Amino acid sequence: MTDGTRPNPGARIPVKLHRRVCLVLTEDAVLAEELLARRKMGQDVVGRLTERVLLVRPGRVEAVVEELKKMGHTPQVVSR
Amino acid sequence: MPLSDPAVWSDLLRQALGRYDEPLLRQVAAKLVRTRNQWPADELIDRAAGTVANAAVIDRRLEDLDPAARQLLALLARSRQPRWRLGNLVELVIALGQREEPFKPVLALFENGLLYPDPASFGPANRLKSFEQIIGLASAGGLTVFAHPAVTVRALANKVDLPELPAAVVGAAAVREADGLEWLLRLSALWQLVASGPLRRTQGGAFFKRDLDRLRGDVVLNSQSADSLADLPDPALLAVALAEVEGIVRDSDGELAAGPLPSSWEDGLPEATGGLYAGLFRMESWDPLDGFRMATPGTGNPFPSAYLLILALLGRQPPGVFVSAGALETWLLEHHPYWPQEDARPSRLRSWASTFVLGLLFPLRLVQAAKDEAGAWAVRLSPLGRWLLGLGEVPAAAAAFPQTLLVQPNLEILAYRQGLTPGLIARLAHFAAWKGLGAACLLQLQPETVYRALEAGFNFETILQTLEQHGTRTTPAPVIDSLRTWANKRDRITIYPSAALLEFASAEELNEALARGVPAVRLTDRLALVPHDDDIDFKHFRLTGTRDYGLPPEKCVTVEPDGVTLTIDLSRSDLLLETELPRFAVALDRGAAGRRQYRLTPASLAAARDNGMSVPLLEVWFGQRTGGPLSPAARLLLAGAQTPPAELKRHLVLHVATPELADGLVQWPETRALIEERLGPTALAVAEENVASLREQLRLLSMQLSELV
Repeated sequence: MTDGTRPNPGARIPVKLHRRVCLVLTEDAVLAEELLARRKMGQDVVGRLTERVLLVRPGRVEAVVEELKKMGHTPQVVSR
Repeated sequence: MPLSDPAVWSDLLRQALGRYDEPLLRQVAAKLVRTRNQWPADELIDRAAGTVANAAVIDRRLEDLDPAARQLLALLARSRQPRWRLGNLVELVIALGQREEPFKPVLALFENGLLYPDPASFGPANRLKSFEQIIGLASAGGLTVFAHPAVTVRALANKVDLPELPAAVVGAAAVREADGLEWLLRLSALWQLVASGPLRRTQGGAFFKRDLDRLRGDVVLNSQSADSLADLPDPALLAVALAEVEGIVRDSDGELAAGPLPSSWEDGLPEATGGLYAGLFRMESWDPLDGFRMATPGTGNPFPSAYLLILALLGRQPPGVFVSAGALETWLLEHHPYWPQEDARPSRLRSWASTFVLGLLFPLRLVQAAKDEAGAWAVRLSPLGRWLLGLGEVPAAAAAFPQTLLVQPNLEILAYRQGLTPGLIARLAHFAAWKGLGAACLLQLQPETVYRALEAGFNFETILQTLEQHGTRTTPAPVIDSLRTWANKRDRITIYPSAALLEFASAEELNEALARGVPAVRLTDRLALVPHDDDIDFKHFRLTGTRDYGLPPEKCVTVEPDGVTLTIDLSRSDLLLETELPRFAVALDRGAAGRRQYRLTPASLAAARDNGMSVPLLEVWFGQRTGGPLSPAARLLLAGAQTPPAELKRHLVLHVATPELADGLVQWPETRALIEERLGPTALAVAEENVASLREQLRLLSMQLSELV
């Protein structure tokens, strides 16, 4: 830190890296609530990082996508 | 495998030569490269790969071959298919007239380094000691071989010794030529069907009944072609066979899933048809005689060589001359070694070549057709067919009619065929479902088809642009509204199946990372999301910990001696833990040491119990996260309320001098009945009403008992 608020611009920033995380981002908090209220979805969503971001159990993304489609959603899947 | 990419075949050539025993490698290199020095084996392989790309050298090597081997290569060149079954090559040699020693031209090509066994088809452990070994493998299991396209293209100029058939007399005005789109349309319809659910195969190679019914019941795939002059057996399964060799569907552990539509479709009809043309010679699961055929490993399939002979025969005829489809069939049945067999079953001798030519080559636009004086169909190669066989220039592009779509308010699209192109077919197939093929094809816009297009990289603008660009009228407002609604709905939920999260110690550090251009999206004041971790430039960061969510959970929690305080190892913890712990523990304020701690409380565990937490679940969690068993205190807090009520009893405690004395009192029948419970090594619980009896027994033993204090 140089001034107590901004890290040294040249220094490496300490960070913890979480790899291969599966997340669902919703447009608003109400939609996130709607998803969490769905029983089948609740089994695969392990937590809520923010009011719009849900953390999905590793390896369960396809089940979540299928369940979202059953709910009438057309989620955008961001993959290479 | 991309047929046109020489690098792919050069790589395969290196692999094949790498499987040769060194003496055999040197023998081949001596003929192909004409080495004078004793090069190491790796060097020889590199030089061989370099030599096949040298047109002048290859021309000289071809001149050195005997005519039968040269003709065989010339035939392979006309197929545009580098990979063949060895049995088919032998059939070609025999059909060309060499009935004695039919393996000789094939062996000559192997020996001269102009033909190679496909490494994948002769076993991972086998090394090739001689080419006679290949013949043995071929008879056992249908060995596949390949010729490098750089070699076959040089052989294209060689004549193939095929006869000129009698010309058919046809009326010039009645010459018919298809638009060549029929099978592209059908393949795109099949692609849609497979994209909606994969097709599964049994171990024997047949389709499961449910999937076979799906294929044979599909209206579009089984409709009669508007452009065909003969009906094909099992047209839906022909589409599967063609799609498989084109990579439009891909087999993964017996399950056929949708691959991408070929990029060559965007290059126009000649390129798109070129892929299908080369694929004809690799089709294993369909033939024009029986329709669907089981692609059983190790069994021969004479049709690829027969297809090539038919096309080469057509190419042998003078340009513009028609020959009767029947004459082609007659020649083939007389010369192809599979059919003239006297013991062949009658079912094998049924006519099929006319069906192939009129039912498949014609709609592929490889041949033109006209009726002869007797009313029978006669055919000749089309300009596209001549180009594919290497006999002519690429045909001129037909007149374009870009405005060919009629988009209707009910979300149906009429696609007039004269304006369709392979590229437009591919684009339409992504966002609308084929409902009917004909002179005017019918498509339907649906939420799921639009979603499929969005997944494939389309967006609202590109879909609308396609409709506007090719529409005969302005796209109706209800259609635009539906497209926008479906596309916008997709933006409401975004899923990152394998994202990276950067967890910073402070909001300032996150801001600094964003200021340095790290392609991250802020989720919280300390968490940022990067869609793919290979986009992260790690020169900006010092990793304090890495957690891979594809791996089992890390043990990152320590249970303090009180059994209810949990301390987190922040360098190894993960976000799952951060969401798991609040379900049954409360976070403690960080102390001076800055450790993150949680505490199990009666209230937190009661709430967890109400939300479905049980002792077995908490035991699993403790095992995964702490590496130890559930602490007794935690068990007490979680399950204490569910145990039988505790009893408060009044007892006296008898303390004896040694454990051995206590053992004796517990064992001796006279005192055993008077002792309620052993509390410790030297402490025994005695009910008040038994004190007198116990004192009496101890007196008999002459043991002193002090009075109650």
